[in-house]
Amino acid sequence: MYSIVADQLTKQFGTFTAVDHISFQVKRGEIFGFLGANGAGKTTAIKMMSGLLLPTSGTATIAGYDILTQSKLIKKHIGYMSQRFSLYNDLTVFENMQLFGTIYKIPRKELKDRIYESLRSLDMEKQSGTLVSSIPLGWKQKLAFATAILHHPDIVFLDEPTSGVDPIVRREFWKLIYQTASQGVTILVTTHYMDEAEYCNRISIMSDGQMKLIGTPSELKEQMGVNSVDEVFVKFVNR
Amino acid sequence: MRTILILIKKEFLQVFRNPLLISILVVAPLVQFVIFPFCADYEIKMLDIAFIDNDRSSISKDIINTFNSSGYFIPHGVLQSQSEAEEMMRHDKIDILIEIPARFEHDLYTGQPTQISSTANAINTVKAGIGTGYVQEVIGDYMRQFSERNKLPDQFGARNAEIKLSNVYWYNEQMNYKNLIVPGILVILVTLIGCYVTALNLVREKEIGTIEQVNVTPIRRWQFLIGKMIPFWILGMTEFIAGLFIMKIVFGITVQGSIPMLLGVTAIYLLVMLGLGFFISSVAENQLQAMFIVLFLFIVFVLLSGLFTPTEGMPDWAHKINYFNPMSFFMEVIKKVVLKGGDFLSVQKETIVLSVMAVVINTGAILSYRESSK
Repeated sequence: MYSIVADQLTKQFGTFTAVDHISFQVKRGEIFGFLGANGAGKTTAIKMMSGLLLPTSGTATIAGYDILTQSKLIKKHIGYMSQRFSLYNDLTVFENMQLFGTIYKIPRKELKDRIYESLRSLDMEKQSGTLVSSIPLGWKQKLAFATAILHHPDIVFLDEPTSGVDPIVRREFWKLIYQTASQGVTILVTTHYMDEAEYCNRISIMSDGQMKLIGTPSELKEQMGVNSVDEVFVKFVNR
Repeated sequence: MRTILILIKKEFLQVFRNPLLISILVVAPLVQFVIFPFCADYEIKMLDIAFIDNDRSSISKDIINTFNSSGYFIPHGVLQSQSEAEEMMRHDKIDILIEIPARFEHDLYTGQPTQISSTANAINTVKAGIGTGYVQEVIGDYMRQFSERNKLPDQFGARNAEIKLSNVYWYNEQMNYKNLIVPGILVILVTLIGCYVTALNLVREKEIGTIEQVNVTPIRRWQFLIGKMIPFWILGMTEFIAGLFIMKIVFGITVQGSIPMLLGVTAIYLLVMLGLGFFISSVAENQLQAMFIVLFLFIVFVLLSGLFTPTEGMPDWAHKINYFNPMSFFMEVIKKVVLKGGDFLSVQKETIVLSVMAVVINTGAILSYRESSK
């Protein structure tokens, strides 16, 4: 059973084609990496799949729902973490989680338990009452992730979740991703860091809005005759 | 319901954690409210006046007494010479000098042309102009009574008609500009909170990207907008009520009409302004654009609203634009209810118009606010 099925998904802004007929499937519980240079169309693709942007043509099925006609239902079943940190800086850690948890209609009592459990696993219990503006970026990203999965979504979209974050937090972050995926949550993640790409079950490389390569990291390395995803990417770009 | 409540809570938390916004919402308006009415006061009272009486007749004394008892001048007595008068005016001791010519009484009774000269200190042109108006009025009044007493109709009849004209403009015992300006400022404040603060607030969420995080949730757009609207509506109403208290305590202006009715119309007006704010925020890309749009509309609204200039004097096209100016309707309500003690019947038309505006603009705002863009 596939969590994500994209079928000729296309987005044009005027004469510029940001996403050009991409088709792919992602299995449930899979960690799927979106690689590509800046402007390759990764964010646009994610925005269409999460219901923030309507496609120009083509469609996709997310968690069994159609993005063209069932975007309200999709929104209940996905989590989304944007490229820019977009929790409220002038609310505390707890207030942010409470706000979004409530919007997702998690019952009051359960919400509290979930928030504290989540903060405990992030080792951020002490920061519960701290304004988000005053915690470091790495923690903010972890918090954003925890908030995005608070309502137990089927699929989480992560748009460059680790950009600007130090290596230690990055490793912790990937631990979180693995943990979440092991519970059957599908992860779609975009990244610039090629070492991170190695952690994905499957990756795709986008360029000029098209999906040029798709496969497991080892498949792609074999295909290109190189030793790392980094080399795959460089070789692909120079081709 | 729970969703809306948490949104309201979020909004209040944010407002009270933002010291700049707090000062915009509370301190700035109150300071404005207390200072502005004193600056925007067009009224001139207590002009210093002195006389030179070359006639020393009973009529000239009578005229001087009329001036002194009119309540608009501080009398500085009858001076002996022109040079003394000039000296006093040079030192700003007097604003107006009235000179009654010799044989004034005689000429008046024999029907010969005669004239009283009035000299105004024109360093302050407004003061001089208004002062001269007062003088004309006092003399005109006196002459009217004089001709009635002495049956001298034709000659003075014409002059009286002319003076009556200036009467409308300058001389109005009831005219107290604070009575108009203070409630007007209240209107401006409510408008600013309703339109400006909400527009900036929503555009800011767009700018920093938090709205995106909200848009990927299953929240409905009307829920989101209502969650924004209620907090600012409450702030606006609080501000208005606080304003009414200040109006009473500082300026001694009591609402003549029904206060609950006034609050009701204000509530509707605030909805119009909130809707307009949201509409602007969905059109504007960033806070700067939103600010310019609000500023532009605001100036048009204020100038046409009849706060600084009466709407009656405006050309026809301005009247037509005013049909779309919610502020002019609300200003009308304020004038009628606060100053004249009008009942609901007198503001029925305005209330209906404002209600229609509220419905139209809020529907527009909800429709134009998109969670997914094309």
